[in-house]
Amino acid sequence: MAQVAVVQPKSMTRPKVWSEEVEEAYRFQLAGYRDAIEYKQVHKTDHVDRWPHNGYVKKLVRRDGCFYYYNKTRECPDKEIHKTKMYSY
Amino acid sequence: MIKSQCKQQEHFKKVPGPPPAGAFKARPTAPTSFRKFYERGDFPIALEHDTKGNKIAWKVEIEKLDYHHYLPLFFDGLCETEHPWEFFARQGVHDMLEHGGSKILPVIPQLIIPIKNALGKREHKVLCTTLKILQHLVVSADMVGEALVPYYRQILPVMNIFKNKNLNSGDGIDYSQQKRENVGDLIQETLEVFERNGGDDAFINIKYMIPTYESCMLN
Repeated sequence: MAQVAVVQPKSMTRPKVWSEEVEEAYRFQLAGYRDAIEYKQVHKTDHVDRWPHNGYVKKLVRRDGCFYYYNKTRECPDKEIHKTKMYSY
Repeated sequence: MIKSQCKQQEHFKKVPGPPPAGAFKARPTAPTSFRKFYERGDFPIALEHDTKGNKIAWKVEIEKLDYHHYLPLFFDGLCETEHPWEFFARQGVHDMLEHGGSKILPVIPQLIIPIKNALGKREHKVLCTTLKILQHLVVSADMVGEALVPYYRQILPVMNIFKNKNLNSGDGIDYSQQKRENVGDLIQETLEVFERNGGDDAFINIKYMIPTYESCMLN
């Protein structure tokens, strides 16, 4: 039986300032995932809905099957930046 | 002679002034049908009571929703001032406008009555929310601005009443500016968005309903 390779992160850092990567992580973590890698593993898909003009995440399916919709523009407020986790592999 | 004059003056003093017309007073409304549908669980949204309170979890994809049915219902909820109805109505409208695209335009005629009711309530919080929603609605899809022009007669009268509701605090700090809760400023912003997106006829129609409005494009 073929085992699905589960990639685990090696380290985690907390950002100090907002950036597009922080925004990306914030959106995934709001929906209950570590990041895009875990999302793709859980849903066994390569596709993530994104806004065409800037590539921000548009729609995510939570683990319970509900949908989270995200804005065209920045959503991560300043007070949430330091709570976001940036994983590296 | 002088005595009689004094008597007359006293008589005039007793005449009371006219009663306040109450043009700026909040008008209570009956519970909305949004509340009824929400309590009955008709909306495809998951009800959550956690700390991350700024998102709605949709049980169905928004793209697959019947906008003719749901969008007017969510707009109806804009009259609500209490949690959780107020939050779900505001956020639901926001999500549906952000992701509606071309499905919004055909529903515009059905949105006018709920918008009119919400503005007609004349309550500070409801006014702020509705004005922000209107700004979002106009830019949500192509031609929506133009489609709203025929309905200015319904929407704009209340804006005309509150247009000057702006605090003159001298050199003090007006915190409502920072929080975007200054009704006068919000109305000015909304009218400018209307004019920019409403096509050629927008300005003259706004001017007809709100004579003190000055164009933000012609000058």
